[in-house]
Order: sequence, then structure tokens, then C-alpha cells
Amino acid sequence: NRVEVFVNDQSVWVEPGSTVLQACEIAGIQIPRFCYHDRLSVAGNCRMCLVEIEKSPKPQASCAMPVMKGMRIKPDSDVSKKAREGVMEFLLANHPLDCPICDQGGECDLQDQSMMFGSDRSRFLESKRAVEDKNIGPLIKTIMTRCIQCTRCVRFADEIAGVSDLGTTGRGNDMQIGTYVEKMFTSELSGNVIDICPVGALTAKPSAFTARPWETRKTESVDVMDALGSNIVVSTRTGDVLRILPRLNEEINEEWISDKTRFSYDGLKRQRLTQPMIRNEQGGLSTCPWVDALPMVADKLMATAPEKISALVGGFTDAETLVCLKDLLNRFDSEGLCTEELFVADGSGTDLRSNYLLNSSISGVEEADLVLLIGTNPRYEAPMFNARIRKAWIHNELEVAVVGSKVDLTYSYDHLGDSPQTLKQLADGSHPFSAKLKAAKKPIVVVGSEMFTREDGGAIHAAVSTIAQKARLTSTSNRGGEDDWKVLNVLHKVASQVAALDLGYKAGPDHIRNNPPSLLFLLGADEGVVSRENLPKDCFVVYIGTHGDVSAPFADVILPSAAYTEKTATYVNTEGRAQQSQSAVSPPGSAREDWKIIRALSEVAGASLPYDDIDAVRSRMGEMAPNLTRYNHVEGANYFKQAQELAQLAKPKLLDAPLKSSQLTLADFYMTDTITRASKTMAKCVKAATEG
Amino acid sequence: MASLFRSALRLRNCFGIKASSIGAKNGISRFNVPVCAKYSNVASNDEIIQPTEQIPAVRVPAEIARNKLVEYGNFVSECLPKYIQQVQITHTNELELLVDPEYIVHVLTFLKDNSLSQFTNLSDFTAVDVPTRPCRFELVYNLLSIPYNQRIRVKTYTDELTAVDSICDVHVGANWYEREIWDMFGVFFKNHPDLRRILTDYGFDGHPFRKDFPLTGYYEVRYDDETERVVREPMEMAQEFRKFDLTSPWEAFPKFRKTPELPPPPADQEEKK
Amino acid sequence: MSSTFARAVAAGAAKRVPIKPIVSANPDQAKRRVLTLYKQWYRAVPLIIRTYQLPYAVETVQEKIKEQFMKNSHVRDVRAIDILIIKGEMDLQETLLNWKQDCHVRDYFENPTKVQEPTDFLGKFLTQKH
Repeated sequence: NRVEVFVNDQSVWVEPGSTVLQACEIAGIQIPRFCYHDRLSVAGNCRMCLVEIEKSPKPQASCAMPVMKGMRIKPDSDVSKKAREGVMEFLLANHPLDCPICDQGGECDLQDQSMMFGSDRSRFLESKRAVEDKNIGPLIKTIMTRCIQCTRCVRFADEIAGVSDLGTTGRGNDMQIGTYVEKMFTSELSGNVIDICPVGALTAKPSAFTARPWETRKTESVDVMDALGSNIVVSTRTGDVLRILPRLNEEINEEWISDKTRFSYDGLKRQRLTQPMIRNEQGGLSTCPWVDALPMVADKLMATAPEKISALVGGFTDAETLVCLKDLLNRFDSEGLCTEELFVADGSGTDLRSNYLLNSSISGVEEADLVLLIGTNPRYEAPMFNARIRKAWIHNELEVAVVGSKVDLTYSYDHLGDSPQTLKQLADGSHPFSAKLKAAKKPIVVVGSEMFTREDGGAIHAAVSTIAQKARLTSTSNRGGEDDWKVLNVLHKVASQVAALDLGYKAGPDHIRNNPPSLLFLLGADEGVVSRENLPKDCFVVYIGTHGDVSAPFADVILPSAAYTEKTATYVNTEGRAQQSQSAVSPPGSAREDWKIIRALSEVAGASLPYDDIDAVRSRMGEMAPNLTRYNHVEGANYFKQAQELAQLAKPKLLDAPLKSSQLTLADFYMTDTITRASKTMAKCVKAATEG
Repeated sequence: MASLFRSALRLRNCFGIKASSIGAKNGISRFNVPVCAKYSNVASNDEIIQPTEQIPAVRVPAEIARNKLVEYGNFVSECLPKYIQQVQITHTNELELLVDPEYIVHVLTFLKDNSLSQFTNLSDFTAVDVPTRPCRFELVYNLLSIPYNQRIRVKTYTDELTAVDSICDVHVGANWYEREIWDMFGVFFKNHPDLRRILTDYGFDGHPFRKDFPLTGYYEVRYDDETERVVREPMEMAQEFRKFDLTSPWEAFPKFRKTPELPPPPADQEEKK
Repeated sequence: MSSTFARAVAAGAAKRVPIKPIVSANPDQAKRRVLTLYKQWYRAVPLIIRTYQLPYAVETVQEKIKEQFMKNSHVRDVRAIDILIIKGEMDLQETLLNWKQDCHVRDYFENPTKVQEPTDFLGKFLTQKH
């Protein structure tokens, strides 16, 4: 059922309903465009994509023109070329000639296209229109005179971000883009308008006037600011991270990233630990070389009884480091390996992978017809996941229901209250919403990992897995017996959690609470779950991390390590997808990669770990958990029934306290971890979001 | 020049040598056309009018200039068939003689002393390093004949371990050029009166113009306040090399568009055809 | 153009099978010339120390000269040896005629040309970054 069209007399078969522009794209011909964007609705107002079509009296806007059978498209004809030149002339009539001081210079669609499709001389003598710049927050710099009114940003705000902050006022020559009244562009995805802006009207404020795009080096990496592992490109110059851009990955982040991912990089330059430090006689910390710090820790390691050694890993720890740390402590017969982030230990706990993964995958949301969110605010915990839900909500009539705090999720949903009892009712089918759940063909139940930090986490897990298991059975029969849909999903908040659980770390610091250690390793654990007060007096604390934040001040030895842009490392996202980050810059001062610190420590302590390079660590990682080395592949889990049955065994009562998310407003979104707490940009965002 | 070529004809007759011809490729003319045939149109104009005060000098048309060089190239290759391996004309109409390195002195002596050539001026002498070749160094002599206002380029070849005869006895001006090539490329010239370094510092190791010599060199020197002398230290780059990424997402050269693999037409359409 | 020339060059290289000596006709001659150069250097030691006011004993300088010669002890190609001899002679000339400055001579003693880099993991960890 495809139709034949002719592009430059070449026959091309395309889907009916696709546009002339898409047909040309299939034929390998790029039509210049400004307002058209693959992921946004068609506006057709820039007129740059005009092409000649045979038998049509005038050139047509190819982005909005559907193909018809036998259409003869002439994108390279003289008429098409002249039309483009004319449009370009009009666009440039009001566009300032400030390319030399414009941040978009070098990656500007207008610049590139006027070189390729524009006229080579100007006939313009009149004066240009000028537009007042708008202040739309600390992230986006506006130079509105440069705007060509393509309305991409307006459509992005409306369609993807789901906030109708941006709009147009005036008409004709007086048309302007703005927020109507001066206010911040209050979206967690606001930075993406910088990427889609074809000219320099919207540029990044934090990296304004720092570098030209052609002189930067681009390193393809992975983000760790949330548990989704958005794909990013790190732009660097002379050992300095200049900006972070999204990288296309249809499975995770499409071509967007959240503002935290994009702008928190300045936190990598402030409050960094650059030298090893040890506590001196006066009780303060003083810097020292590695040769002094390592033996000190190694001596303690050798002198401490195995059951008194513990380690607590934070949210940014990569899988290689987790493997090394586990091997090191196991060498010393210790099993005290904990993650900072809690998870349920009742029932099957973390033994079955299906218990702690986002099983139906991020892109799976697009197939779903019902989403039940329990105790989570995906908009701030995982913005790209929320954008996916919104996409499905717009295009697929997805129904969403929420048990938990009533927050603005950018789409409408049934709020089922925030009482834990609702879960009980949903589990036994007595809640009115259960009928919908039963009728759904592809339901998804997403529970925020934050719920498991509650005292009744086990009971919540039991109830949620019952809801999910029931929905799974009914949906399977609704779909006619196809048993391929997974319902239960856990949305994590930190990047390291899945890898840590895969490697058999204990979730939560309970082990440390129950067995007071006398040697404690903190790997970037800065959320304050342990402090000097709740540790034994004689406990020797070793902090291995990047920032002097919460935990470093009370440590006895500080070993500086590398942040995620500074090392080649493995991170597993909440779906269970292993991805690699690449080292874009070198660690500051004498900081070293984390796994190397532990490897060096093991040698000084006389129990050398048997790997010297990253490949050897990875092969060891593959022995421990093969899924960690299968990059970009989602290793599914499939023991829902067993997990649900096991979850019923431990049954503490559900408490009455309401199910609440900790991140409720935009101001809660920006500063959540060591890197963002050190970031000036993020601090400005919090201020702007609080003051409105 | 006219008289030059007429004498050339005579020379050719008396030597009775046939031009050696080596295969030619694109961009190189091979001179296997008989000299007289090519020359005939010019030769028929008995005398070329010499510029006088009344008639200003006019630039010789490219075609005629080229023909003259062709003639001369043929003449030389016929005179020295054993020494000259190939004669070629570049796309900018410059005559090049490719010479066996053993006989470079003979060739240059001939070019200098032959009364029809008189290439007495060595305007430049340098080398080119092409590491992939069996003889990696190409030696390039640029000569000027003042009486005939003609330029010619002589090329030969060598490797790191083969000495080439110095041409200092022929062209005294080659002295420093050869020292420079020895210094920069490490080509040894036999019988040079004073072959030693000319540009690099004493104690400098290596030959900087060789392609395998790093752009930054191996050592950096600086004045050290503590020892109060210049010290040499291994190179340490304070700043990384600049590397510019100049790609654009937009199609820059539609003429060189790659044809993508088109999706095949539906099966039923194939049958209809 | 270059390709045809390259072919001509290759043909030329193939043609000249008997390798032309630079100076020495056989290894024995080369060896004799190396020894001659070595003796020249050896005899020049006191003069070098005096000229450049080196704070080293005669033995140290002799040892250094030996070291420099032994650095090339693996070279077997007579022509390569010849080139090295020629360079050594030039170096000697530069040294004896006081063309060099103090720092050039002292560089031999004070800057070992290759710093021994650690090869084991811990050594690398402590000394370098990556």
C-alpha cells in the first residue's frame, strides 16, 4: 500500500500520508528547513522547504504537503532554488549580522543554509527590526532580534515539555516569541529549546561566549544524573567540560535531555577533591601524596577483623568500581557491602532481578494503554521517562493513574489518593479503578524506589507486585494469551543502584547499623545516611569520591576519584541496560579512577586483585554478572510470579502515612546529589524556580 | 630560442640517438612525437621577431612556451639517454627531468655547460620525504638558464643510507643547500667540502623534516634559573593540539550526493511491470 | 605524476642491487674506523673537560663516551655505521672547536635521555595519571 512518487525523475516508493519532504529524504535529498522538526508537529511557516512540484502552479511547502500518487517532485530545479533564495532573503532581512559574536555560529542552521541555498549578494538597504530580549530563566539566554519565528520552541514547550509557557504575540513584522509576561520557562526540559532553535535566538546561558563548536572535542558518553542513563555528548576543550548535549537514542532519551543532565557540569569543577587527605593530629584534614595515604588505609584493612569492615556505595559509583570493591572486601573475608539507596529486603528482595528493574522498558510505555504510577513523581525523578509517558498520552490515548502525591505531571491523570490503603484495595480488586486495570490490554505499574525506603516498604512491595501480577494475568487474557508483556516496574533514582544489586550488594545501610564497623569505606556516599554520630567512635572512615560534600569532612582518609566525565566506566540504567561512559577529560589534580584506587589499595594491603587494566576488570565483571558487559542491551528478567509469591511471605502491615514523593516542585528537581549541589547553575535554577 | 631548437635538431642528427621513452600517466606528456613534426609550425616562421623599444615584450602564449619545453626536454633526453630516466611536463607547464642518482653530477654539468642550455643558476635545491617509497627521499634541483630565460627542474632519489654525489663542484651555491638537506633530512652528500649541521642546535638529534619526526620534536630547551644554564628536557605539551571539526549537518555538495539505497517497490508493482 | 616517478624510483632501486658503500667497503673497514673515532674521542677527554669546565672526572667522561658508542652497538649495516661515524666525527669537531656551549656537553650527563617509567600497576598509579 505504498505510493510511487518521482524525485528528480527517480522513482521512490513511500508510505501514503508521508510528506514531500520525507519522500525527498528517502531519495537522499535534503530539503532545507527551519520550522520543520521530526519530533514536533508541522507548522509550515518558515517557507524554506519550498520545492517545485510538476503541475502545481507555485512551489509548495514540502514539510506540509502530503505525497500523491505519481507526483513529480523537483527539489533541484531552478524554480525550487529561486524560491529558496527568495525565502532566505526575506529571513535575512531582519536577521542581525552578528555571527562573529553569536554563540550559535558554526552550528547555525541559518548560517549553513544561507551558505548553501541563499543568494550570494544582498539587495537590502532598509533598517532592520529589533526585538527586546526576554529573561526566561538562568539557563536560556535569549537574543530575540535573531529569532526567525520558526516556533519550534513554542511547539516543543507545548508538545514535549507540556508547559504552555512560550507563545507568540503580534503578527507580521511585529511577531515575537515570548512568555507573555516576564517569567521563567518552568520546565525540567527547557534546555532542549537551545538545541532545536535553528538560529542563535536561544542559546545556553551558562556556556555563553566560551567556545566555538568546531574547536571542541566531542566524547560520546552516558549521563548519571538519574537512573535512566540518557545518552550524551560531552564537549570539551583543553581538559575542560564546556557543555553537555544530548545524543540520539530512541530507546532511552530520543534526542532530549533534562536540564540537570545538561547544565550540572559546572558542579564537576567546584568543590572537587584533588589531593589525597589524611586527618592530622590537630583533627583537621591535610593533603598528602598517594604514597602516604594508601599504606595508612591498607594497614587498617589488614588489622581490622573481617566482620568489622564495611563499605557503602553512593549513587554515582560505576560497575567496575563495584566489582573491585566487592573483590577487595571478599579478599578480607568481609561481606559488608551496602548501597546507600534503600530497597526492600523482605520476600525475595533483590534476589530476583524482576523485582528491581523497569521491566517494560522506557520505550515500552509507547505501547501501553494504561499506566499506574505509585509513589513516584517521574517528572522530576526521571524527566525523560515522563516525557515518554506524555508522548504516549498524546498519541496513543494512554490512561494514567497515580497513587501518591498530587503533582503536575504535564498530563492529566486519575488521582487515586495517597493512602497506602488504596494499594490494598487495588490489590484485592475492591477499588473502583480495578475494573479499568482489569480491562487494560497492556498495563504498566510503575513504583518509585523511594517507596521502599519507608518502614512498610516490604508491604508496599507485596501489594504492588500483587497488583502487577493480577494485571499481568488479566492483560494476557485480554490480548488473547500472548505472554510477553511485563507489568511491574521499579523506577530508580540513582545511576548505580541496578549494577550494585546485580552484583549482590545489600540495599540500604542496615547492615552497617546492625554491625557497627571499625573500618568503613564510603564510595561517594553523600546522602547523609551515615554520619559520625551513628558510627562507633573508633570507626576509621575512608572516603573515596569526587566532591567535598557531606561525608568527606568526617572521613579519616580522603582518596580523590574521577567523576563520570573523567572515566571510562559502565553504568546500568533502571531498565537493566548496561552502557559505557567515556572519559572526556582527565581527573583534576592527582585524582584517579575509582577502580584503580581500589586496585592500588589491594596491592599495598598485600592482596593484589588480579587485574591491571580496564579490560581485565571488565572480563571479571562479565564473570560475576554477564549482563554488565553486554553493552546497550537490555537483559530482561522474568520471575514475576515467584517474586510475587515470595513477597507475600513477609507481611508487615501497611502504615497509614501517605505515600509521598520527596520531589514535588521544580525547585526540588535541581539539587539532588553531590554534583548538582556543587553546581552554581543549579543553585541559580533553584532560586529562580522558588521565586518564580 | 628558435636558433636553440634548430641547433638541437642538428645535434640530434649528429648523435643519432633515439629518445628513451618511459611510460607516462595522466598529467604527464610523453615526448615520443618526432621533434621536427612538432616544431614545424614554428620553424616555418623563419625568425621570431625580437622585442625592441617600439615593440614591447609580449608574454609567450602558453602553448608555444610549452612546445619549447617539450622540444628541449626531448633534446636533453636524447643527449643523455643513459642518465635521464624520464622527462615530464607538469600541469603548470614546467619541465622536469627525472635522473638516475648516480649521474646527477653529469646531468647538471651538461645542463650548465651545454651552450644550448646554460642552466648556470641553481635557484633552489631541496628534498621531499615520501616514507612509503623504496627510496624515500626525492631531491629536487631547480635551475635557471639566464641567457634563455628558462627554468627546469631536475629530480632524483635516494634513501637514508645511500650517499648522493655533491654538486658543489658544479654549482658552488649548492654548498649550504646540501648542508640544509643533510641537517633536515639526513641525506649524505659525498665529496661535499664542508658537510655539517646548518640550522639545528649542537647536540640536536634527528632530522626534523623527515615525516616520521614528530611535529613537536622530542626535547624542549629552556633556561633554568637554578643551574644557570640552558637545560634540555623531554617534550611535555602544556596545551593539546588544536583539532577543528568543520562538518555541517547540511549537504554541502549536492553534485557529489551519494545515492542511498532506496526501499524496493512493492512486490505486486514488480509483477505488473 | 608522483606514481610514475615512484615507479621509476622503484625501478631504479631494483636496478642498483650492489649497494654502494658510503665510505667503508666492508665490516672490517667500518670497525677500524669506529675504533679510530673512539680513540679520537678518548684522547680528547682532558681537553673537553678543560674547555667546558666539566665537574666530572676523566673516567666519568670516558665512561659516557663508551656508553654513547655502545648505544649503537647493535647496528650491523656498514652504511649505517658509516653514517654514525660521520655524525660522530661532526660531533667531535663541534666539541673540540668549542662550537658547542657548556649546556650542550652537560646534557649528556645531566639529562638521561630516557626516564625509566614504571611498568607495574602500582608504580604507574603513583607516578602518572592514566
